[in-house]
Amino acid sequence: MAACALGRLTGRLSRFLGRGGSALPGLVAEKVDPHLIERLVAAVRRGVVVVTGTNGKTTTTKMLVAMLEGEGLEVITNPTGSNLARGIASRLIEVASWRGRVEADVAVFEVDEAAVRPLAPRLEPQVLVVTNMARDQLDRFGELATTASHAAAAVRHAAVAVLNADDPLVVEMAAGAAAARFFGAAAPIRRAMPSDSSLYGDLPEAAPSVMLDLSLERAEAHGDGQVVELAAASGERAVVRLQVPGAYNGYNAAAAALAAAEFGVPLGRAAAALESTGPAFGRGQVLEYRGRRVKLLLVKNPAGLNQAIRLLAALPPGAEVLVAINDLDADGRDVSWLWDARVEDLAQSGHRFGTAGIRAYDMALRLKYAGLEAWSETDFPAALERFLAGVPEGETGYLVPTYTAMLRFLDLLRPGAAKREVWS
Amino acid sequence: MSDLIIAHLYPYEMNIYGDTGNVITLCRRLQWRGLEARVEPVAVGEEYELAGADIVFGGGGQDRSQLAVAGDLQRRRDAVHEAVAAGTVFLTICGTYQLFGRRFLTQAGEEIPGIGVFAMDTVGGRKRMIGNVVVATPWGDLVGFENHSGRTRLDPGQEPLGRVKKGYGNNETRRDEGAVIGNCFGTYLHGSLLPKNPGFADELLSRALRRRYGAGFALAPLDDTLERRAARMAAQRP
Repeated sequence: MAACALGRLTGRLSRFLGRGGSALPGLVAEKVDPHLIERLVAAVRRGVVVVTGTNGKTTTTKMLVAMLEGEGLEVITNPTGSNLARGIASRLIEVASWRGRVEADVAVFEVDEAAVRPLAPRLEPQVLVVTNMARDQLDRFGELATTASHAAAAVRHAAVAVLNADDPLVVEMAAGAAAARFFGAAAPIRRAMPSDSSLYGDLPEAAPSVMLDLSLERAEAHGDGQVVELAAASGERAVVRLQVPGAYNGYNAAAAALAAAEFGVPLGRAAAALESTGPAFGRGQVLEYRGRRVKLLLVKNPAGLNQAIRLLAALPPGAEVLVAINDLDADGRDVSWLWDARVEDLAQSGHRFGTAGIRAYDMALRLKYAGLEAWSETDFPAALERFLAGVPEGETGYLVPTYTAMLRFLDLLRPGAAKREVWS
Repeated sequence: MSDLIIAHLYPYEMNIYGDTGNVITLCRRLQWRGLEARVEPVAVGEEYELAGADIVFGGGGQDRSQLAVAGDLQRRRDAVHEAVAAGTVFLTICGTYQLFGRRFLTQAGEEIPGIGVFAMDTVGGRKRMIGNVVVATPWGDLVGFENHSGRTRLDPGQEPLGRVKKGYGNNETRRDEGAVIGNCFGTYLHGSLLPKNPGFADELLSRALRRRYGAGFALAPLDDTLERRAARMAAQRP
């Protein structure tokens, strides 16, 4: 396995050079051996799980890994941000022996929704999870219908597809699946999920067209997280205290538990694993800083921003909120999506707002047209100072950044941590 | 009692890339001057009297949506032509702009008929034209974000909205952007367009208000410092 050895060497070299391990080893190894991924995953004893979709991939992956590890299984997974072929190849190389063998029971990979089409036939997943399909970074993916067609093509290569019953584009994918299992939510939760249109309210609701295998019955805020109730078609039920807030994370928990069931994990034990799963990188994570709590709510698209808005609107008035919008490739270069989110829902919140990032003024403008005043600061350290000045000691401030803006803030809040999280 | 009526064509199908932000902007800028707008969404299949609207807005959409509304728009062809001739203010963006031309030939060779308000044809291409755009127009530089694979060719007599200073515009070669006929405007600029181009937003509002309340109607100035800052930043981005 020369490719594998070469890849490992590249990884060490690039880490030594201070660029992080990154996807470089995978990139190099894939050039030398284009079938490296297939060869390495073939040895994974109980197969591969692929988690794809617009939002919730990272959290769902993290939850599923916890459930499988809770069963004593040896699980390998890719770190967030490395969800393209080269990132997966890099991870496989890292865990492979020098002879090029991967020792694991299950591999759980988060895969980018555009990369999943070519990767699925190579990974031949035992289970493929599609969390949802929402508009996201259209400058990169083109049309939503195109993105959905990639995931639909990938579904055909999985033994079992775990699909979101409340997302019509995802439900359609069942047609091509060898077997399909559905997760979804009870009507009150489903209705409360924000839709795209900010001006005209929600579209008339279509009744779910499929039977649920696992249903999110209840989701109530509790501390930094929430209490949810899951009910399986078998009659099993579980009440779980999740460490992450928002009904969308309830959906993620249901998706993970349903995927885990394919590996024989009973709902009760999946629930126990969920309770011990902390938030994923930037997804509701709380960082202590100078005696204050900074809660990170990563946003990547209007659906994600709507989730953050819903969470913020439910807080008692007076919270300090900093929205940081960058427009680099990883964020999406088009910031039009700020106008697709229901920012107007914050008009009565009574919170204080600041904006930061390369497109700080765009966000301030969005707030202005929603009837809200905000300060703006394009310099990251200055923005953080101003934000913290508004958070009383012992209290929580809310930081709502796009991906690269989050990395900039993490560099300030936890020097070195951003690099470790992304590239570890 | 509202001072202006804004008809929003196909908001459920054609609402991508923040185009709703344009309607929000028109409403707010009226509100800040003590005026009020009523927004009337026009859905596929719905009967709607276009002649009653002061401003008609239509945004961009995905291919699938564009196909869905193309047939319905044909039904309104005469009404649209009459409203344009009568001086109703129109702002059409991307997908709706294309349908206001004569036809759209998709990459697959399919022909989607337009309603021929603008003397132009659009042909689907492989490469998408994506990025921040700056267009010089009689109403100042407009800043926006384009994302389209259709190439639009204006007939020689068809006036463009402006000249591209940065980005692609109607197509890769001619450096023209959008189209204008009377009070009817078409453009590829998302962004959203109007929030960062307050002068152009006010131009549309002024035209509609003068048409309804007489030539003497003038809009009070607003503080657009933030708008200009956001536009300046966008103009510098790739």
